[in-house]
Amino acid sequence: MKSIIERIEEEISTWAPKEGAEEVGSVRATGDGIAEIDGLTNAVMSEMVLFDATFDRPLEEALKDTDPLYGLVLNLEEDGVRAVVLGDASRVYEGMLVRRIGRLLSIPVGEALIGRVVNPLGEPVDGKGPIATTENRAIEHEAYGVIDRAPVNEPLHTGIKAIDAMIPIGRGQRELIIGDRGTGKTTVAIDTILNQKSEPESSRPICIYVAIGQKESKTAKLVAELTEKGAMEYSIIVTAPASAPAAMLFLAPFAGASIGEYFMEQGRDALVVYDDLSKQAVAYRQMSLLLRRPPGREAYPGDIFYLHSRLLERAAKLSKEKGGGSLTALPIIETQENDVSAYIPTNVISITDGQIFLEADLFNKGQRPAINVGISVSRVGSSAQTKAMKGVSGKIKLELAQFRELEAFMQFSSDLDADTKKQIDAGRRMTEVLKQKNGEPLAFEMESAVIFAAINGYFNDVEPEEASLAEEKLRNYLSREGVDVLSCIQKTKSIDEEIENKLRKVLDAFHLVAP
Amino acid sequence: MDSYTRLLEIVAQTEDKKISDDAVSRLILHLKSRGRMKMLSKIARELKKVAIRRQSMLPVIEVANGNDKLKALSEAHAEGFSTDTVRINTKLIRGWRARKGGTLVDRSAKRALIDIYTQAL
Repeated sequence: MKSIIERIEEEISTWAPKEGAEEVGSVRATGDGIAEIDGLTNAVMSEMVLFDATFDRPLEEALKDTDPLYGLVLNLEEDGVRAVVLGDASRVYEGMLVRRIGRLLSIPVGEALIGRVVNPLGEPVDGKGPIATTENRAIEHEAYGVIDRAPVNEPLHTGIKAIDAMIPIGRGQRELIIGDRGTGKTTVAIDTILNQKSEPESSRPICIYVAIGQKESKTAKLVAELTEKGAMEYSIIVTAPASAPAAMLFLAPFAGASIGEYFMEQGRDALVVYDDLSKQAVAYRQMSLLLRRPPGREAYPGDIFYLHSRLLERAAKLSKEKGGGSLTALPIIETQENDVSAYIPTNVISITDGQIFLEADLFNKGQRPAINVGISVSRVGSSAQTKAMKGVSGKIKLELAQFRELEAFMQFSSDLDADTKKQIDAGRRMTEVLKQKNGEPLAFEMESAVIFAAINGYFNDVEPEEASLAEEKLRNYLSREGVDVLSCIQKTKSIDEEIENKLRKVLDAFHLVAP
Repeated sequence: MDSYTRLLEIVAQTEDKKISDDAVSRLILHLKSRGRMKMLSKIARELKKVAIRRQSMLPVIEVANGNDKLKALSEAHAEGFSTDTVRINTKLIRGWRARKGGTLVDRSAKRALIDIYTQAL
């Protein structure tokens, strides 16, 4: 108390009124989180304004309500502006003074954010106290141009066999995860984050998970899981829960991108998961309708494509001159009844560099992750795949494509010739081998060894339905007896002749002990 | 309705009673012919709001203490506030503040005290 009094007395003794004028406006009308403001004629788009509840109140009352309440200017009109209230809109009243604060909406960024849970304004919401950052970064930021970028050529391993083998993701890529609710979209993203723990610290990406419109209990569970598995050491959570105003849901992905860009500009790698952009689109539609912008298809505003394209374009692999950092984006889109031809899914599919399509039917059949490899694609990731994975993955795609052709035929014919039956069994075995439990991502050397065993017939002696069990046994065996060969694959990132011979020896030995 | 209000607002700016009376009579005739006389009360309400808004845009100087009136006036004039009316605002602490349209000059101590308080917290 004494220190506060001393501090106040010191300030008063040296006080002199501030020089100059400031630009202000007053709230004409407010409702549904939107404020119509008279004045502020020089305000610019995306500028922050401060709703000043202290202006026309006596000091003792004003001191009870000093929490700053900000707004974001989104409509510039003839005699005023419209702004969304970034906080408790019930505190805004007609006639309230609004001040320009002269900066675009920005959030604090820095190392101190790692391990923390923040809201889209960068304020901590994990109860661990203030975050000591020194830098601020605008939430809206222009994406890097062609000259500043380098081709995507480094892999980002997800630890999921089916993805790393057939739909590889590169650092700086934008890969969409799309599917109905409850098909494991978040699980794929979380496993990817968990898998980064197996990366060497020097190349381990900083992972940013942006939870948009999710239940707070789900986010809390996720934070607990990441903490328990030691993944919070390199992760940041940005959360805009379902209970937050629409403006927060709209801003959350941009906040995540800004945080990711900070690390990318430091020459480091970052991974950002937007879970999910369908909810962001709905929030943006709500805001746009309240801002009286003309509705278009499905009542979304005309710039809904630009909303997502400008966000996802910020993912990049920077050139060496720019530090060589990268920002990989894994946007998530929820579909209704597997309809990928709806407005938002088609938009985001066309923006991204590929998509991982998860299907409810496959999920219900027990194939997890429920990836439909037929329509999933990665447009740039294959050039980033390690030699080890590239060497073993080509054959899987062919085998599974043949299996899909025959699978349909199989339902109509009971008498199959031996060759066809063999191909079908091989496909079923491969499908079983690619199954994986959630929360158990595999290091890429283990993935390569397992897939090598599968395509070279090491599971041919087991019934197709037991291939999954045999694969698990093989992994256990490899982690006991194949440490050398695994470390060779990890070091060289390839399976050359020498490593192949070593691997075959271990696999032959496994074949003998566990038929 | 917005268009009618806007039209009357523009007419009112001429400050010629004859023109504005004529405009109102024509508007009433127009509304009658369209069977939209119900709108008249709404237009009047909107115009009142516009008038209040206009009033709030006029220059105003406020002082914390009546003794500071002259000093506040001269300083406010120097800042470009062309009015001689000064109001006493008991919510202010020391000094004065003036507002004209979207411009605010605050030479009072109240905001500084609030800033110190929030920083100290």
